[in-house]
Amino acid sequence: MKPPRLADRFLQFFCAPHLLEEVQGDLHEEFEYQVERVGVRRARWRYWRDVLGFFQPRYIKRKPSQYPQTYLFSPIMIRNYFKIALRSLQRNKVYTSINILGLSLGMTCGLLIFLLVKYHLSFDNFHAHSDRIYRIVTEQHRDNISYVAAVPSPLGKAFRNDYTFAEKVGRICTFDDMPITIKGKKGLNKFKESQGVAFTETEYFDIFNFPLSVGNFQNALREPNTGIITERIAQKYFGNTNPINQIFRVDNKLDIRVTGILKNLPSNSDQKTEIFISYPTLKSYNDWLGSDDAWGGIHSAMQCFVRLRPRVLPSEVEKVFPAYVKKFRPTSKNVHHYKLQLLNDVHFNAQYGGAMNKQTLWILSLIGLFLIITACVNFINLATAQALNRSKEVGVRKVLGSLRGQLFWQFIAQTGLIAAIAGGIALGLAVLALPYVNQWFATEISLNLLTDWRLVAFIPALILIVTFFAGSYPGLILAGFQPIVALKGKLSQQNIGGFNTRRALIIVQFSISQVLIIGMIVIARQIYYAQKADLGFNKDAIMLIPIASTPQQAKTVKAQLQHLAGVEKVSLCYSAPASNSYWQTAPRYDNHSEEEAFRTSVRAADNDYLPTFDLKLVAGRNLYPSDTVKEFLVNETFAKKLNLASPSDLLGKNLRVNGNMTGPIVGVVKDFHDHSFHEDINAVCIPSASDFYNNYAIKISTANVPTTMAAIEKIWTKMHPEQIYEYTFLDEHIASFYETEALMLKLIQLFSLIAVFIGCLGLYGLISFMATQKTKEIGIRKVLGSNIAQILWIFGKEFVRLIIVSFLIAAPIAWWFMNQWLQDFKFHITIQPWIFVVTIAITLLVATLTVIYEATKAALVNPVKSLKSE
Amino acid sequence: MKRVYLGEFEEIVLLAVAVMEGQAYGVAITHEILHQTGRDVRLNQVHSALQRLEEKGMVKSEMGEPTAERGGRRKRLFSVTAFGQRTLHEIQEVRASFWSRLANPLKLSV
Repeated sequence: MKPPRLADRFLQFFCAPHLLEEVQGDLHEEFEYQVERVGVRRARWRYWRDVLGFFQPRYIKRKPSQYPQTYLFSPIMIRNYFKIALRSLQRNKVYTSINILGLSLGMTCGLLIFLLVKYHLSFDNFHAHSDRIYRIVTEQHRDNISYVAAVPSPLGKAFRNDYTFAEKVGRICTFDDMPITIKGKKGLNKFKESQGVAFTETEYFDIFNFPLSVGNFQNALREPNTGIITERIAQKYFGNTNPINQIFRVDNKLDIRVTGILKNLPSNSDQKTEIFISYPTLKSYNDWLGSDDAWGGIHSAMQCFVRLRPRVLPSEVEKVFPAYVKKFRPTSKNVHHYKLQLLNDVHFNAQYGGAMNKQTLWILSLIGLFLIITACVNFINLATAQALNRSKEVGVRKVLGSLRGQLFWQFIAQTGLIAAIAGGIALGLAVLALPYVNQWFATEISLNLLTDWRLVAFIPALILIVTFFAGSYPGLILAGFQPIVALKGKLSQQNIGGFNTRRALIIVQFSISQVLIIGMIVIARQIYYAQKADLGFNKDAIMLIPIASTPQQAKTVKAQLQHLAGVEKVSLCYSAPASNSYWQTAPRYDNHSEEEAFRTSVRAADNDYLPTFDLKLVAGRNLYPSDTVKEFLVNETFAKKLNLASPSDLLGKNLRVNGNMTGPIVGVVKDFHDHSFHEDINAVCIPSASDFYNNYAIKISTANVPTTMAAIEKIWTKMHPEQIYEYTFLDEHIASFYETEALMLKLIQLFSLIAVFIGCLGLYGLISFMATQKTKEIGIRKVLGSNIAQILWIFGKEFVRLIIVSFLIAAPIAWWFMNQWLQDFKFHITIQPWIFVVTIAITLLVATLTVIYEATKAALVNPVKSLKSE
Repeated sequence: MKRVYLGEFEEIVLLAVAVMEGQAYGVAITHEILHQTGRDVRLNQVHSALQRLEEKGMVKSEMGEPTAERGGRRKRLFSVTAFGQRTLHEIQEVRASFWSRLANPLKLSV
């Protein structure tokens, strides 16, 4: 009967050698005795207890040795380590540069991803009491639930007056893309603010920490037609003149007097608007939103922030909201549930329009980690392969009295040197790549080593971790050589770590690469599909230009445009058939007393809409020309949602949408995609309603496009001298639906390129190692009559096997991930077998190119040379 | 002479060593104490006590013969030094003088 082995090992590990014999002897004797007395199981427990009892300083402290110690860290030896390290790096230039290249690429990605993640996690973290700041958001319960980060405009005021939960309630109503004009000495200065303007209550600035540099919040943003702007905007609009009491004109409607200047907003805030107008002004801009009884609907511009009193629970507050719904929206089929969203969540919650998904950050961090791991794996591979070359050195050092620890630290020093060089290069590369990263992610990340202590800590930490992760294993192997064997030159691959370890590492690398490659192909195919598939309308050669005038003027412009030579058709419309805009409303069909449970998108447009976009009718006729709502077109889905057998059943039935638009249905349009492929096709109705037209949709002929475009611009500018001319092409507009995916594609292309590259470096290392190992074997084979092809196959067999195994690991993982990803799309491709075939073909091709040179070199060696030396 | 103090447990261990006359080593002492006093002492406590006693010069030790039940390991055998014996005697005398001056020992049980 033996005592527990693990406990024994532990004892041997910690107990001082001069005490071990008696202690262990006593313990064993006691164990024997206890086995007799209480049985094996309890004796084993007691043994553990007794061993742990000895785990104290008295038994751990070693007896001082009577011989002098070799210092592990003597400065002279450390200097020597670095000198030898530099020499050996210089001698193996290829090996060194492969390592440095691989490591610095991996570290660059790690560094950039670190910066990106840090930037996003720092969003809006500079407000006092941010754990008590919430945004009120709305869940709209209909036949499905939709989420908006906005509330009915009177809610904020009512909540402030009726309850004492909140210290501050601040409403802010932001309108994007605002034209701003300023009377200068030489006529009008025109600006277009894509971040728009915000009608803001003063309380908003009590909640958030955006300080004023000129003026004070006692009187700023109180009176109608006053506003505050940031220093940047003040400089842009008024140059060096004093901006206070200057006037600027918003959307050609409102004259706003500047009463205060804000310090520039930090880039890590979701508050991007830099022009704030007093909230009382809202009434003269949008009568409905500014009124106190606009409970009928939600405008997405209208946000409301609160800072609760300490110790008030959000769930408590959410309980009082239903009373408002009951009071102000008793009959609506669209039941509002108001919720509190914590400020920390605002930036990350995609449901409420958060800019960055936390999950994406996690995936990015994971990819960064993987790239660093692959680079380290590479290093381990190459270093162990190289270890044989240093066996003589290790032997001599050991004979002269080196300890294992010293040899280990020597190798770590060398690794540290490589890692530090790679870290320096990575920093340089990161600085160079940062502008592109900022452009891709629309971020304003800066890399400043002087102010950012986290970054300053991160770089050495990364270098240190890489050094130990990459250097420990080869270091241990190197330090473990037996001096006699090493000096005799009889070391073989058995002595320097299993070949299989290295195979496994290569498999890991290629699995990562192949997952990324499959991901890349699937994303690219899906984007291609979304842009090239039949959307139900023609999107080629259609320009969209905003309407910036009265309906009458718009009609004049349309008539002028139609006379241009290159213009085929012009339609005035609310938006293109597929669009981001959500004008959705519950329809009332066939004079039913209640609204239907589903919603319909409204695409208000004139009678030229169908021919311009090449939409097909399946029943009935097109609209007759009209400026007001007289008739409707609907799509096939509309009929399906009403459970009608045939679209023609709809014809002639009355339809009422948006409260007051009513008329008969005169035609049914073939289904088209009214949003991106992320969404199902909605029910759609198309009325003529000139008050709602936002765009001229112009179909131009493909000949002489520049002349046509110039002519269009001329007409437009003549009609709208106060505006800035802008246009988009419909196909670009549709491509912009998939911006996130396009960004992801770019990233994954980059990452898979780097992963494949690093993987190839590793493979190269493995093959060159094999080549030296098999020199004799190749020589003998050649003597016995092998030809070059047979010898190449020795290498080919090896890496083909590795890649196939890694493919078998990668394929199911990639399939699962990409299938999950595709679920985001209502219309998506299926993952077809050819994608996998292409992936493995690409990998094999790249791998072949990597190994062919080294393998051929080994195969061509004259056997006389390789067999002569022994 | 500088008086050396013994803890209560050390005194028990020292007595056990004295009683066992050259056959005293860790496990044996532990068992002896268990039989005599009924207290469940642990090996590491006994070892610590022996080490402290040796540092104080009350016991001396030498390595014994290896035995099979200890996996061929030798045991460290302890014996009491003259100084140890004297200390035990002194303790005994101090106690005896106190006991003799106690008028009615039964009062203690109150």
